Amino acid sequence: MSSTTESLNALLASLGQAFDKIPGSAVLVRYVKSSHQNDPGRTVLEVILIIFAIFTLLQSRTRGNDGRHFIKFEDKEIDELVDEWTPEPLAAPLNAFEASDLAAVPIIVGHNGPKPTLARQPTKMIANLASYNFTGLAGKEVIKERAIETLRKYGLGSCGPPGFYGTLDVHMTLERDIADFLGTEAAIIYSQGFSTISSVIPAFCKRGDIIVADRGVNFTIQKGIQISRSTVRWYDHNDLKSLEDVLDSVEKERKKRRGPLTRRFIITEGIFEKDGAMIDLPKLIELKYRKKYRLILDESISFGTVGRTGRGLTELYNVPATKVDILIGSMANGLCAAGGFCAGSQHVIDHQQINGPSFVYSASMPALLAVSASEGIDILRSSPSILTKLQQNIRVARTILDELDCISVPSHPASPIIHLHIRKPTPTLLHPSSAVSAGHSLKPSNPTSVLPREAVNWDWDTDAEERALQQVVEEALRRGVMITRAKRLRGQEMVEARPSIKLALTSELSTDEVKKAVKVVAQALKDVLRK
Amino acid sequence: MSLFSKRTATSPVTSYLSAFSKNDPHAVDDESSTPASSLSSSTTSDSEDTVIYDDDIDNADGLALPPRPPNSSEVFSTVHTEFGHCSNPKYRYLSQHTSGTSIPGHDDQNPEPPYYVLLSTYISYLLLICLGHIRDFVGKRMRPAAYRHLMPSDGYAPLNSDFDSFYTRRLKTRMDECFGQPVTGVAGRTIQILDRISPDFNHNQILTGSRTRALNISSYNYLGFAQAHGGCADAVETCIREHGVSTCGSRLEGGSSNLHVLAEALVAKFMGMEDALISSMGFATNSTFIPALVGKGCLVISDELNHASIRFGVRLSGAQVRMFKHNDMDALEALLREVISQGQPKTHRPWRKILVIVEGLYSMEGTLVNLPAIIELKKKYKFYIWVDEAHSIGALGPHGRGVTDYFNIPPRSVDILMGTFTKSFGSAGGYLAGNKDLIDSLRIRGHSGAYAEAMTPPVLTQVVASMASIMGIATPTMTRFDSSSTLQPSEAYHHPGPAPMSTLPTWLCLPPHLADGSEGTSRLRRIAFNSRYLHQGLIKLGFITYGHPASPIVPLLIFNPGKMNMFHRLMKDRQTPIVVVVVAYPATPLVSGRVRFCVSAAHTKEDIDTILRACDEIGDVLDIRHGVRPRWTIDQVCARALDLVQLS
Repeated sequence: MSSTTESLNALLASLGQAFDKIPGSAVLVRYVKSSHQNDPGRTVLEVILIIFAIFTLLQSRTRGNDGRHFIKFEDKEIDELVDEWTPEPLAAPLNAFEASDLAAVPIIVGHNGPKPTLARQPTKMIANLASYNFTGLAGKEVIKERAIETLRKYGLGSCGPPGFYGTLDVHMTLERDIADFLGTEAAIIYSQGFSTISSVIPAFCKRGDIIVADRGVNFTIQKGIQISRSTVRWYDHNDLKSLEDVLDSVEKERKKRRGPLTRRFIITEGIFEKDGAMIDLPKLIELKYRKKYRLILDESISFGTVGRTGRGLTELYNVPATKVDILIGSMANGLCAAGGFCAGSQHVIDHQQINGPSFVYSASMPALLAVSASEGIDILRSSPSILTKLQQNIRVARTILDELDCISVPSHPASPIIHLHIRKPTPTLLHPSSAVSAGHSLKPSNPTSVLPREAVNWDWDTDAEERALQQVVEEALRRGVMITRAKRLRGQEMVEARPSIKLALTSELSTDEVKKAVKVVAQALKDVLRK
Repeated sequence: MSLFSKRTATSPVTSYLSAFSKNDPHAVDDESSTPASSLSSSTTSDSEDTVIYDDDIDNADGLALPPRPPNSSEVFSTVHTEFGHCSNPKYRYLSQHTSGTSIPGHDDQNPEPPYYVLLSTYISYLLLICLGHIRDFVGKRMRPAAYRHLMPSDGYAPLNSDFDSFYTRRLKTRMDECFGQPVTGVAGRTIQILDRISPDFNHNQILTGSRTRALNISSYNYLGFAQAHGGCADAVETCIREHGVSTCGSRLEGGSSNLHVLAEALVAKFMGMEDALISSMGFATNSTFIPALVGKGCLVISDELNHASIRFGVRLSGAQVRMFKHNDMDALEALLREVISQGQPKTHRPWRKILVIVEGLYSMEGTLVNLPAIIELKKKYKFYIWVDEAHSIGALGPHGRGVTDYFNIPPRSVDILMGTFTKSFGSAGGYLAGNKDLIDSLRIRGHSGAYAEAMTPPVLTQVVASMASIMGIATPTMTRFDSSSTLQPSEAYHHPGPAPMSTLPTWLCLPPHLADGSEGTSRLRRIAFNSRYLHQGLIKLGFITYGHPASPIVPLLIFNPGKMNMFHRLMKDRQTPIVVVVVAYPATPLVSGRVRFCVSAAHTKEDIDTILRACDEIGDVLDIRHGVRPRWTIDQVCARALDLVQLS
């Protein structure tokens, strides 16, 4: 017994000697002694802290390998489990409606334009109200000639990301053209319109930052917000009063928590892709300055379609584009080329050049598409009559559609895309945005939930409406007008949008042609929906 | 610096022209194919890049003209600056896996540099970081105005805080001259860079207005289809006249054209799968279609070096992710055994499905995925495989069909083949190929179908034309049936065979050398030769390289951050300027900064010689040769290229 005590003592003594030999150990000992003398409780606390630190360090950082939940198996057991496991099929096959939907997608033969030829065409085409050819740039010979010239100088692909010899002089010219056109300091181009904003948002919004976003934002903004991992608060669709309330509640929350100052963003669209509603930009800008937020504005639909020369909402409302901190637009929609852009201050643009994932990790846009976009801007700039014509066609279409009692139109009167919802016979079920005024909910919606409070009152039958609208689409096509339902990813959207038909107007059709085409659509709607 | 001084000029134009006639034994008796006419056959005379041998061509850099003038038996249809002239049948190689040989992993083939190199690299970074912090500390006090955008002001948090942007400001800015270099013209065998200078330590780059033509070993132009002239470009021109520039809308709404349908059918045939879909952006092909396949309750097992687009897509999908060590099949199996036996975290429910995502060829390492091993594992562990062939499609395999072709694995043993058209096809966008049900489901449920713009007609045409050139077009042979005497064109497609006529647009008219697939085959053989030659040459010269010898991506390790700048500049300022891509942390681990060569079929053997010579000279100056001994001299390497290629 005593021999063990002796050997233990000897061991302790040798350990003590070894400890003394470590340089700086004396300082440590003195520190521990004096701190213990001053406050014995502190020693306990420090010991606990050290144990906690070691424990944290030892814990595995990856998820899944969590020690508490890990069950130890023998090799044989694992083999059995592996044998037993049957995975689901990789993708569920399409249901009957999806399959027929896919089969019904119109296939254009040759040139797309106001009156294209379709692969399965029942009758002579009167008008195409489905494709995004708002200002008719798709058919411009001068653009084609410039594209061919560019092809002969640059080939087609750029064969590299912008960082590694993929930045062409024509890309820089296009960036300059966009910045000049909008009146911002700089611009940056992405090679796909859809992937632009979902890359811009995570470039700026990080974990801990605050995003206040409209409940009706499009799918790619939702994805951008999701990937940013920022704190999100939602305000009612296109409702600036609700926005102000949410901004106030966020500020209150921050003051309560005494949190640090983080980046704060308002994210919304100029003209909403989901329903064609338009925001009141001057008020929004006044609000964002007052509350010290930055504004990320998606003008994918409004750029190239509204304003005197198609500069978008900033031109329409006569607000300098520099007041929008981060402005996103689409050259694919507005200029009939390809890709998207982000315009803003030099800092905003420079930051994306190394932080925008789909900019950095993607090949740059083919040269001829960039030149086509530049040429498109030139045309818009020099001929405001195109935009006048487009707006005139929109008015003509709206006059006819607004008179129909079987549908409701949530879109703004100047929006180049016009959404048509089925109107229920009972007057209580109006479009969601008007539900608030109908007195359904006086309490504001919960900002942390993307679903608005009145969502409980939404009782439309999505499947039935989709089917009815598809019938309308097919009926219209039989009579020579190509239109489309707004295609949605059911089950993947944060808020299920109400089924709608989406008309895309174009300046290429004459007023009479638009009148005729929209009347065909109206007749098809009446015929199908009154059944 | 003797390296900056120009070496003696290679063949000046006058001597070149006189050599031209001497070198032409067929000139007298075969007047029908004079070289001048064959060279200009497919080029338009008004173009800037046209190389007809005029007196005013400046060949001081040795790039505009081939070192040896062609004789009349050699008919070249390409412009030498876009696609190099090389008619020597010896400089060809078949890209194919020899069955029975092992497939190198990642670690077991990478030689380690001496310790002093690692140490000095760490010290370099440490020094840079310390200096950066000192400059920030002093700068914030001396010149607050310059830091205002990094500090909270007026109630706004900075868009980009000083801490977040430290790496960019203090490390990357120092080597900004290597990044974002603007260029013009075709990214072919050579490329024209827009010269720029920086008066203020890389904060601003100013274009001087002049251009320099440089040998391009940086673009992803594996098969050399980045061309402004030739059959593919002609097809694109026809297409722009017929179809315009845009299809105006998403695939499901108003932007589908018959060109999409044709191209998708052709892509499916090329890959040997049932069906395929096309997306207008390569990045989006991963980032918008992965979420349509996996979600909550699913597991994605991803190689640790997978591309950012895959990570982006997986993060959007909401599926759990686990990573395994790069290309390490034992680690993959161990992980599979763990995750299948444990099930989902906490609940221990079985996973709904497991998707293993790997790349065919890794863009920073040049490693080739060990696909045969993964297919074996799949049989036991029942996971699904998604192979991202962004870099391998077209560049690998005897028929250019990617890793499955290289390993001679039936493509349908992989569930989804993903790839891009940016690289080997000189186009843009990406594809997914799989069985019909799967692809149809992705068409409806992938984000791109409903919302993203469809691929534009010119881009589609480039895909179709270049793909048809690789495959060759089947001449509709008439088969006689026993029962009746009617003749019917046979349209059956046998993978990997030539493309049936019915899968091509009727207006597509390729020149004979492209239509019969002979040039496609020659391109495949050329890139295989060039890749192996550069790879083995660098090793013999004593450099440390990564990757598989068959890979057209050849990373050469430089280690120290300071040397990367120098390497880039020394290569660019040579008599024959060469542009290279250098990659450092965070794209690579801290200590393995590298230069990445991307070999192309457009390069000639002489071009690879030029690059090897340049590396040989610069390697001594920068002390970056830490590889194997015994080494060969540069002249030995160039002379014994054919032996080198046969190695390994």
